[in-house]
Amino acid sequence: MREAWWISIIKGFVLINVVLGAFAYMTLVERKFMGRMQLRYGPNRAGPYGLLQPIADLVKLIRKESFFPASGVDILYIASPVVAAFTALLAFAVIPFGGGWTIFGHYVAGQMADVPIALILLFALGSLGIYGFIVGGWASNSKYALLGSMRTCAQMVSYEVSLALSVLGVVLMAQSLSLTEIVAKQHATIWFAIPQLLGLLIFFVSGSAETNRAPFDLPEAEQELVAGYHTEYSGMRWGLFQMAEYINLITLSALCVTLFFGGWHGPFLPGPLWFVLKLIPILFVFIWMRTTLPRLRYDQLMRFGWKVLLPLATLNAVVTAFLVVLVD
Amino acid sequence: MADFLVWAIWIVTALACLGSAVAVVSFGNPFYSAIALIGNLGSLAVLYLLLAADFLAAAQVLVYAGAVMVMFLFVIAYLGGQADAPWAGGPTWQSVAAVTAAGALLLEIIMVIGLKAGGRLSDEAEIREAFGSPAQIGRLFLTDHLLAFEITSIVLLVAAVGGVILGAQSREEKRGEQSAR
Repeated sequence: MREAWWISIIKGFVLINVVLGAFAYMTLVERKFMGRMQLRYGPNRAGPYGLLQPIADLVKLIRKESFFPASGVDILYIASPVVAAFTALLAFAVIPFGGGWTIFGHYVAGQMADVPIALILLFALGSLGIYGFIVGGWASNSKYALLGSMRTCAQMVSYEVSLALSVLGVVLMAQSLSLTEIVAKQHATIWFAIPQLLGLLIFFVSGSAETNRAPFDLPEAEQELVAGYHTEYSGMRWGLFQMAEYINLITLSALCVTLFFGGWHGPFLPGPLWFVLKLIPILFVFIWMRTTLPRLRYDQLMRFGWKVLLPLATLNAVVTAFLVVLVD
Repeated sequence: MADFLVWAIWIVTALACLGSAVAVVSFGNPFYSAIALIGNLGSLAVLYLLLAADFLAAAQVLVYAGAVMVMFLFVIAYLGGQADAPWAGGPTWQSVAAVTAAGALLLEIIMVIGLKAGGRLSDEAEIREAFGSPAQIGRLFLTDHLLAFEITSIVLLVAAVGGVILGAQSREEKRGEQSAR
């Protein structure tokens, strides 16, 4: 069954706004939790319990001066936050969040685009998203920004390899690259988190490195690099970079739910609700890790990526391949 | 309507492909050239999409526009993108020869396509359901094109080992310099 084009447009509009809202309140929740874990209150002035803080932040960012470095490269400088935010938002289109419904006689699918190569598409979008960070850092013509973008580049390229390999086990077990089919296969058998526990751990660790989260937030190590690749950015351009990072994190967690925790399937409650219920703990663990773990040194980071994660991910993929063939 | 859309996308993408290819060789700053090359590879991926090769398009973006070009940009950004254009100061015999050779190649390609596939280009090819699916591509890799596939993997392995050796040597040299001081 195909849905009408105008339903797709409405759904896309709603989905983008939901993701943007999730990003806004993710920043608030993160600051609240971090505050509590560090024995302070966190934001509590804007509205009850600080609930209006993201809106206040947004207004502040929009009204701030959009600084432009005198020796920056104008087109690239302006385009790169847009590229970063665009690819981050686009990636959410292939994630299934429900089984599809018929509302007033119109069919509504449970995801924006059900493509048979969804997983590869996600990684392709991720690899394009890196350009926003690298080109932005280069175009600012500042040594801190350049060093930060070089680190981003090296780190993201290194960890993308183990991220892709960690998923290979799931692909082999589901025998498909389509996220819908992977979810269906998990519904028919078990959550892949159990047979692919090692894959899940590697996915999680390389995912937090891929999204520049602590303890892998080397690209913006403020003690060494001021703020990394977005040193020269201010106002909403900086806001777009920040948005891209958080949305990448949300997408990655959504992918984690889809690949390892059975996607939107669950008893009693409707699909999207289950999806969100599974998403929240994963996002929480990311916040928790940020408050708990100190940042790695740069050489430790690289050594860990290439000498620990990559061999483990390869081993996981090879063993899974053998087992899949044996069981068959 | 759908036909018109396909034509419109095709014309825009084809022009973008040609334009970015010209831009790659005509920009003075190598950083811009690399970005134009990314645009070129991306528009090629869109052309693959129009030819119903979804997997190939995604792989093109992932491998070439993504992973490979990131390394290019990385190196260019590190070395500083301020190198002079090689053709600064008017055309040399090299640039004349390059344009001539490129023109000859273009003519040759048009001739070969015209002679080999002249009649077949006018009618639409039939595309089966499984065309370009990951499963079919994988099966072809492990049956018809097994030799090419294996040779490619060996070449890549050699390149990786070579990279490690080059990296390790420079590190030892550095250590030697330090102890000599």
